[in-house]
Amino acid sequence: MRRKVFGALKWLILAIFLIWTIVPIALVVINSFKLPKDIFTVIPTLIFEPTIDNYVKALTQSNFGLYFFNSTVVALGSTLVVIVVGTFAAYGLTSFQLRGANTIAGAFLVSKLVPVIALLLPLFIIINGIGLRGTLFAPMIAHVALNLPFAVWLMMSFIRDVPQELEQAAMIDGCTKMQAFWRVLFPVILPGIAALFILSMQYSWNELLFSLQLTTIDTYTLPVGIASFVGAISVDWGTSSAAATLTMAPMIAIGFFVQKYIAEGTTGGAVKG
Amino acid sequence: MTRTSDIGPSVAGPIHRRRHSYAQKEQRLAIYLILPAAVAITLVMILPLVFALVASFFQYSLGQQPVFIFLGNYIQFFQDSTALRALLNTAIFTVLSLSLCIAIGVGISVLLKSLAPRQGNVLRAIFAMPILISPIIASLIWRYMYDPTYGLVYFVLNGLGIHDFGGLTSSSTALICIVITDVWHATPFIILVSSAGLTVIPEELYEAARIDGANAARTLFNITLPLLTKVLVILVLIRGTDAFRVFDLIYGLTGGGPANSTTSLSIFAYQQAYENNQMGYAMAASVVTLIALIVLFGPLMRNSARPANDF
Repeated sequence: MRRKVFGALKWLILAIFLIWTIVPIALVVINSFKLPKDIFTVIPTLIFEPTIDNYVKALTQSNFGLYFFNSTVVALGSTLVVIVVGTFAAYGLTSFQLRGANTIAGAFLVSKLVPVIALLLPLFIIINGIGLRGTLFAPMIAHVALNLPFAVWLMMSFIRDVPQELEQAAMIDGCTKMQAFWRVLFPVILPGIAALFILSMQYSWNELLFSLQLTTIDTYTLPVGIASFVGAISVDWGTSSAAATLTMAPMIAIGFFVQKYIAEGTTGGAVKG
Repeated sequence: MTRTSDIGPSVAGPIHRRRHSYAQKEQRLAIYLILPAAVAITLVMILPLVFALVASFFQYSLGQQPVFIFLGNYIQFFQDSTALRALLNTAIFTVLSLSLCIAIGVGISVLLKSLAPRQGNVLRAIFAMPILISPIIASLIWRYMYDPTYGLVYFVLNGLGIHDFGGLTSSSTALICIVITDVWHATPFIILVSSAGLTVIPEELYEAARIDGANAARTLFNITLPLLTKVLVILVLIRGTDAFRVFDLIYGLTGGGPANSTTSLSIFAYQQAYENNQMGYAMAASVVTLIALIVLFGPLMRNSARPANDF
């Protein structure tokens, strides 16, 4: 009897949490297919005539097609640089007997304590000074640098897990240090690179503050475009819902397949999924 | 297996005479490998931080000559009721959001673990969705939820007979509304990480507890939570520092209003810099935030600075 009560309670809690998680997302997705007359009802309507007007409006009048392109370029570009630079740095810090490597690794972690607001203004002045403000390079540079400490930390934890004998064996067979990296280490740390790819993409795709200050109307990324909706005096719910759906869909789609990397990645490999 | 041990002798053994230059070559390669990351981090993180620290000692607005006032901005900060309100709001937000997220997140992941693996995995995948959404979109979604005329929150509360909920427009409830949004957005992260932590707890421990006749509560407090301590510390560290630096959610939901009731330290610094052109003061507020973060989370960080390999 007690067992049954526990079981029922468990499913009740999970059901409530499921509703709590899904309803806000479902609401915005459903609204994106509604005409204004169906959105602005006191009692939420589930039966309505679906329309793609909001998507047409978001992509044409509101430039969301351009923002989508900008976000893709910035996210892919910065992620590529983060992976290459971060992985090499992690290799340099772990596989060579470098003095102070652990101190440097620890220092990377401290970046979690830096309020990004403190970096924003100086970076704004620098980017403005070298004439990059308003180009896609501006948010890209910011995202690369902000992601790097974490990337190095994450890749170090993956490289540390690989038995060093593998690399040594390759070198006895005549490989140079870099050949040993490509032939032996690289295939083994691919899951770590996959985790880094996803987390870095997600960070860049969703990042608001730096993109807000470092871009101009032609180089807005998606979050900046969304923020311009939110900042308006009266929010155009239909169009902004369509824009929000377009923005979150790719990340949710990717996230479904790779969520085990999120736990392992965000904690820098400290928690294995 | 640690990577700190010297790999020199076993490899360089056969070419003993050239060992010195070989080791030097390796060191140089290591430095080349690290250099790009070090340069990028120095230029975009360390230099700006030094700039912020220096600027915080000046009365400084864009387009004007900076005037050195030493601790003037800091003295102003601790006499400014809005700044102190921001400090208090940030503290309240961090404590409430962090404790709710962790309690709910760990609770849900314990429940998920008790399900059949397939059921648990499907539900976990669905539960993970909010964390994949940009905070600015989360704020857009919840602005609609909190809309006094059309919002679902009011619709539900009216159904429950509550008609005087202030929502985002009242200074007594706005901060709570933002905490709720943050809990919605960030709890999935706790679920994913603590689920991963739970999978490595050996099943034998639970079997032993069952044989000893321990009930669910005892198992939770005597086995699950103690073995999850390390994961919980990391969660407090990551979520706590994120909550303390909250910007996007508040920017999208209230912009700090009504009557500064939701102004966080980051929002306050942003407003001083970009709305009032008080750059020096904004930098001082950022440095205060940095110091608070170091004091609050520095000790935890010392313990988990090295990624754990023995987990």
